[in-house]
Amino acid sequence: MSNEHIVKYKNLSEMPEVVISSSTMLWNHTGSWRYIRPRYVNKVPPCNQGCPAGNDIENFVGLIQQGKTEEAFMVLKEENPFPRTCGRVCYHPCETACNRARFDRSVAINALERFAGDHAPKNYTIKKQRPDSGKRVAIIGSGPCGLAAAYHLSRLGHSVTVYEKLDRPGGLLRYGIPEYRLPKDVLDSEINDIIKLGVDIQCRKEVGKDIGWQGLKEFDAVLIATGVHKNKKLGIENETALGVVAGLELLKSIAQKMPLDLGPKTVVIGGGNTAIDAARCALRLGSEATILYHRSRAEMPAFVDELDEAEKEGVVFNILSQPVRVITENGRATGIEMRKTRLGDPDESGRRRPEPVPDSEFVVPASTIVTAIGESPDLAFLPPDVLLKWGKIIIEKFGLTKHPGVFAGGDVALAEQNVAVAIGSGKAASMAIDAYLNGADINSAAERLVIGNHGQASMSAYLKTGNAHSNNRSSKMVVPFEDINLNHFEKFERSKIPKLKLADRKQNFNEVHRGITKSAALLDANRCFHCGVCTMCDNCFVFCPDISITHSPNKWGYDINYDFCKGCGICVKECPRSAMIMEDEK
Amino acid sequence: MKKVLMGNHAASQAVKLARVKMIAAYPITPQTQIVEELSEMCGSGALDAKFLKVESEHSAMASCIAASATGVRAFTATSANGLALMHELLHWAAGARLPLVMVNVNRAMAPGWNIWCDQSDSLSQRDTGWLQFYVEDNQEVLDTVLMAYAIAEKVLLPVMVCYDAFFLSHTYEPVDIPAQQEVDKWLPEHKRDFILDTNNPKSLNALVMPDLYMEMRYKLEQAHQAAIPLVNETGASFYKAFGRRYHAVEAIHCEDAEVVLVTSSSTTSPARLVIEEMRNRGIKIGLVKIRMFRPFPVEDVCRILCGKKKAVVIDRNFSFGKGGIFADEIRGALCNETHRPLVYGYIAGLGGRDITPELVREIVEEACQTKHPPSLALWKGLIK
Repeated sequence: MSNEHIVKYKNLSEMPEVVISSSTMLWNHTGSWRYIRPRYVNKVPPCNQGCPAGNDIENFVGLIQQGKTEEAFMVLKEENPFPRTCGRVCYHPCETACNRARFDRSVAINALERFAGDHAPKNYTIKKQRPDSGKRVAIIGSGPCGLAAAYHLSRLGHSVTVYEKLDRPGGLLRYGIPEYRLPKDVLDSEINDIIKLGVDIQCRKEVGKDIGWQGLKEFDAVLIATGVHKNKKLGIENETALGVVAGLELLKSIAQKMPLDLGPKTVVIGGGNTAIDAARCALRLGSEATILYHRSRAEMPAFVDELDEAEKEGVVFNILSQPVRVITENGRATGIEMRKTRLGDPDESGRRRPEPVPDSEFVVPASTIVTAIGESPDLAFLPPDVLLKWGKIIIEKFGLTKHPGVFAGGDVALAEQNVAVAIGSGKAASMAIDAYLNGADINSAAERLVIGNHGQASMSAYLKTGNAHSNNRSSKMVVPFEDINLNHFEKFERSKIPKLKLADRKQNFNEVHRGITKSAALLDANRCFHCGVCTMCDNCFVFCPDISITHSPNKWGYDINYDFCKGCGICVKECPRSAMIMEDEK
Repeated sequence: MKKVLMGNHAASQAVKLARVKMIAAYPITPQTQIVEELSEMCGSGALDAKFLKVESEHSAMASCIAASATGVRAFTATSANGLALMHELLHWAAGARLPLVMVNVNRAMAPGWNIWCDQSDSLSQRDTGWLQFYVEDNQEVLDTVLMAYAIAEKVLLPVMVCYDAFFLSHTYEPVDIPAQQEVDKWLPEHKRDFILDTNNPKSLNALVMPDLYMEMRYKLEQAHQAAIPLVNETGASFYKAFGRRYHAVEAIHCEDAEVVLVTSSSTTSPARLVIEEMRNRGIKIGLVKIRMFRPFPVEDVCRILCGKKKAVVIDRNFSFGKGGIFADEIRGALCNETHRPLVYGYIAGLGGRDITPELVREIVEEACQTKHPPSLALWKGLIK
């Protein structure tokens, strides 16, 4: 300012009472003092990165919070055709990743997913994303991976045929997970959504038997998603005796409404989910059930919640014992000889290795012995140029094999065997197949598709259908717990998942876990931090000392007036959910 | 409407009647009940105001400054160490010429920790530029808070209303609460020119060079001097509206008195009893209640005390290395007067100790019998 603007007072009374400029100070762009600037950036909530199916969890929880259950359901369906199934059987690693877990307890995401699935109106339609491409894809296996891929490929405009060797579609979801965990009408409703898209599911068509590998040549691409069915052998004497059955065989017999006769005393060998399911089914069929496992309970690969329920229901756990031989009478098993074990040093899986205790043999009488120590794929139908390792198909990310046009996913290819992982891998494979059919390479888009740093691929990122006030599906900024401003949150009790009373579980396969109520769902959705996603909570607006943050009419979010923002960073500090960053001035 | 209220609730009722728009506070005994009741009023909607919970008294005063700068009535209350923590901002509020009102419930400074009555907390803030009133009973608490806004908004200076911990703050007395519409008429909404307006942003309280700083200070002093007649005028208009009369200084039976007792705050009440009783015995004694401490009512004090033989000042406060603060102010006011009385300075009741009528009588009798006052203050009631 030049001297001519300086006011000279002639006398005291002319002076103001207070020190004040004689005119506006708007000319003084105090933003020029700034050397770092705040910016609104939606980031990746850790739940989203942690979801093996690549669900947009923060988004759907927020919609439940707003009472928009149907929209929440459609957000889930965008990434995963099985929200009602996953809302029941998923082991919810999202909740393990949830930042809220370090504050009080994680948001009950799994229960909320089930709530969205069970409570959304039933008259929805799943829309196709693209017109017909004229390309044809064959999928071998109608389990969670195969059906997820079929769903997405169909939405991407491709004509899909699924080959299933059993009578009905669903794979492990139908034949491996008992009714008390996953009612089959729930599964059917979700498979119907896939059929309605025009997917052709051909049951009782086994590739390698009813149709040859060569017969698939007419398709433009093939996805192998046959899962694992071959029961691993115990490698002990009399293993083939009458009364020794495979875990999956028992579960399948129940699913087919022709349950095996177990007799009064069932012994299950193994500690995985199949073993636990087999034992709990045996109880429901009126048999006693004992689990024999060669390590301690802590090493059991089954979900902890399932172990707890099994124990409550009356399954006996006989840990630290390994099978020696099946005892038979007239060719029929009457018991099993076991040997005590003790735990040694950890093996390559990180679990402590069981070591036999000499001269510790004992006999457990049994009318049926169920073996459930794991399953392996049956890939006899495959051409030799599809490479295998440890009995599984070798794939790259997104399910690519070395064989152009041949893709694989789910348990047949992955070390981690569970429903959500299989669904995620089916979705990733559908993107790879779509890219392949369009003459593109999925790997060139991988960076953009992967949620966070190591999450599943996002279909909304693939289709670029995200909206501005949702989290950023392509961002690599995952919000750590330390970036949440806990001053703005109150501890609040997590919703309890209602369960069927123990007395009501006997002699039936009624569903054990029940859904939460609408009020419980709203309360739990309210607990969500919305890590890294602006919810327009107004904190930045209220705290800005320079009145430089303003609402934008008809727009989600805020504007920052950089003419006056001094870069103090209070808005970023006071953002409860780390949806802002400070950057160096360019 | 008459109600039996503790002093603290008389204060919060007054704040409600004044339609204050922003209250920021941090709790401290013995004032907490004031803002506690105000927070409930804000919560229930009985008072349409923002209640700001803050992390310290420093922030409470900063918030009041900001609110007052936008032109609304602001209020806070504190005591002792809380007031001391505000010190820097007390200067700021006065220098920025903000008409906000604060209640300070007089409490002793620590250590040793003491929550009881003592005026040293607010008297240490003497030179911050605030107007200060020391009031005697719960009715006067309510009335003074109302008058404080009227005066503050005319001279653009902040006002501190001080009263004694527990003797007033927690003691119940009948209090006449005026009707809201009467208060609205007497204390209408205040409008002023210099406000913080985000639609017309101006630079406020910025750097002032040596060529003008002194003038700004001089104008602040002019405002203080203007407040002296204004306090009595406001008292008169308040009397007209509500029937209760207040002055900067109250003189009781001083016309014929040879000895005048000088008190402030609730100490005045036992002093009233003692002088009545002594006068009944034929002793020519009067009483002066100093209600306004800043600006100091020099003229009133000189007019009342000149020509008397002795002025006996009871101070419930102490300026270390010197003496009672009221006594010193009175000496200073009188020093150039020819017919000034001898000034006896007594210290009593520090840290909440009772000042009983017996103690007041003992002080007066001792002063009457002592020919010449000692140069240092006399501490009464110490353990021998």
